[in-house]
Amino acid sequence: MTAQRDKESDNPTCYHLRLFVAGDEPNSRQAKETLNRLCEAYLKDHYTLEIVDVLEDYRAALENQILVAPTLIIAAPPPPITIIGSLSDTRRVLNALGLPASEEGL
Amino acid sequence: MGANNAREGAILAGNEVRIALKKVPTYIQGLDDILEGGLPAQRTTLIMGDPGSGKTVMSVEFLYRGALHGEPGIFLGFEESAASFRENALTMGWDLAALEADNRLFIMEGRLSPEVVISGKISLKPMLAVISGKAKEMGARRIALDALDVLLQLFDDPMQVRAELHLLNHWLAESGLTAVMTLKHRDGPSITTFQDFFHSIADCVINLDARVLNQVSTHRLRVIKYRGSSFGRNEYPYVITDTGIRTIPITAFELRHQPFGERISSGIPRLDALLDGGYYRASCVLLAGEPGTGKTLLATTFVRQVCSQGEKVLYLSLEESPEALVRNVTSAGIDLEPFCKAGALHFIGAMPEATGAEEHLLRLMSEVERIRPQHVVVDAISACERMGGKQAAFEYLMRLLNFLKERGITTIFTNQTSGSKVQMEISGNGISSMLDTVILISYVQGEGETNRIIQVLKSRGTGHSNQVREFIIGDDGLHIQDAYIGPGGVLTGTARRVQEARDAFEARRREAEIQAKRREIARLKAAMETGKARFRARLEAAEAELADLERERDIERAEREVRARMRGEKMSDEVGEMQK
Repeated sequence: MTAQRDKESDNPTCYHLRLFVAGDEPNSRQAKETLNRLCEAYLKDHYTLEIVDVLEDYRAALENQILVAPTLIIAAPPPPITIIGSLSDTRRVLNALGLPASEEGL
Repeated sequence: MGANNAREGAILAGNEVRIALKKVPTYIQGLDDILEGGLPAQRTTLIMGDPGSGKTVMSVEFLYRGALHGEPGIFLGFEESAASFRENALTMGWDLAALEADNRLFIMEGRLSPEVVISGKISLKPMLAVISGKAKEMGARRIALDALDVLLQLFDDPMQVRAELHLLNHWLAESGLTAVMTLKHRDGPSITTFQDFFHSIADCVINLDARVLNQVSTHRLRVIKYRGSSFGRNEYPYVITDTGIRTIPITAFELRHQPFGERISSGIPRLDALLDGGYYRASCVLLAGEPGTGKTLLATTFVRQVCSQGEKVLYLSLEESPEALVRNVTSAGIDLEPFCKAGALHFIGAMPEATGAEEHLLRLMSEVERIRPQHVVVDAISACERMGGKQAAFEYLMRLLNFLKERGITTIFTNQTSGSKVQMEISGNGISSMLDTVILISYVQGEGETNRIIQVLKSRGTGHSNQVREFIIGDDGLHIQDAYIGPGGVLTGTARRVQEARDAFEARRREAEIQAKRREIARLKAAMETGKARFRARLEAAEAELADLERERDIERAEREVRARMRGEKMSDEVGEMQK
């Protein structure tokens, strides 16, 4: 476990994440919290996270074809992956990020 | 204060003042007639239907035609990709991309890629934010949400679906857009909940039904509800043509029909005489008869007549190809070739089974509008049943007749009947009330030959002759002859001549019989006289005998009385003894 994690942190891969939320709506709030926690736990120092409020900026939602919130787009590394929902199923999120699921640290 | 005023007051108090509902035309052919003006303005209309019934096409056409009429619209589709969507629209001749470039239309693809990972709960707020923003930006007046049910499958919690739909409904109500939502018919309890909800938020619900009837695909449209408005409540056929959806409402039925015009010759002077002058323009004439009786010849004789007067005819041939028909009628000396070449006679050859009745009808209607004929022939209406059954044929013919009568076009139907007891069949698929003239041609069997007779069964506005005539198909056309009416019915051909001779003989025989009968009566009268005398003698003898018998009886009675008086009381004792 530890070895793999070290290997991951050695990896220069930089994650670029964009989270689209709808104001302060509960699912969006939950997603923001969960994502922040996961990033700190797994991607510390090699990720950028951009949070877009579609209620403020509908054009950004339009360009990215965002119809539901929250929507997380893992823009890098390629290929881009879209995750919708409050991110409550963290195993799926980690899986999408190419990270091994772990019970600890959540 | 009158009763009316009181009632008005009550209505005002009950807050039921009716304000004429604002409507937005769909500009879809025929649909606005059914909806009595269009869809409810700034409200939501639900279009339900099976896959392939044309829900998407209808919602796009609503936007497309609206955009052309100065009402920009937004299309949000959850099923198709925008690219394939634009392509499909192009097959109807709708250049959506041009309207998009013009900012009169906005197409948004709401399809989620199957690779999308779902984790946890979601909300539809971004969708509403996006369409709100876009709608303001382009000044949209219309919106279509296509296959929203696909999006709703993302939700696993029915309560959440309900909450999101409430949100959507609220947003739509605020937006001031006239909305159309499409929804597939689906099975399953969760979907039923959706449907109920959709029904409750929609002010107007249209059901599209695509079904296969007798191997022919048919489409029916029905408005299920329309809050605050009346609407056509029937099922209306519709077709998805290469220019969009077309429906065929029966509106103001028979009221817009043109009155009969002047007389036109049937092409056979003696038939004109039977009809008291010929057919009427703008009327409907049915030529009925068994196979081979000459219905097509009778129809084409009329065609030749009107075409040679410079009028146009559209001839729908459902039984044989136009080429075969033109060739076949030459045997009776009818040459249609020159009229075809001159553009006076147009044929449509169609296999009844090839498409549904609606498509047949629309094809014929658009041909009528293109060619603008004075007369239309449908040969034969009995074949229309093969377009999808009796009901389909009935609707096809009613709508066609209605359409033609509105335009003052003369309609000639031929109808193939079978057997001899054909009164029901003659009238043709239950359309008898729409028929103005009915002519029946039938076979009569005679002396080793079969002949034809013709009769006018019905002719509105005409003192027509009820008489039966012989109908003769010659090399040089059709002829009508006085038929001989004898004891065995109407006689034709050789039988007519034979019967004439037979009648002469019969007359002589009858005369002889009369003479014989007279002689017999004289004989009987004489016999009666002789008989009378003989009976009188016997009667007198009997009367004499009766008188003798009565006299004898009286004498004997008198003698007994004398003897009884002489015995006195003794006789009564004797009687007492005997009684003991």
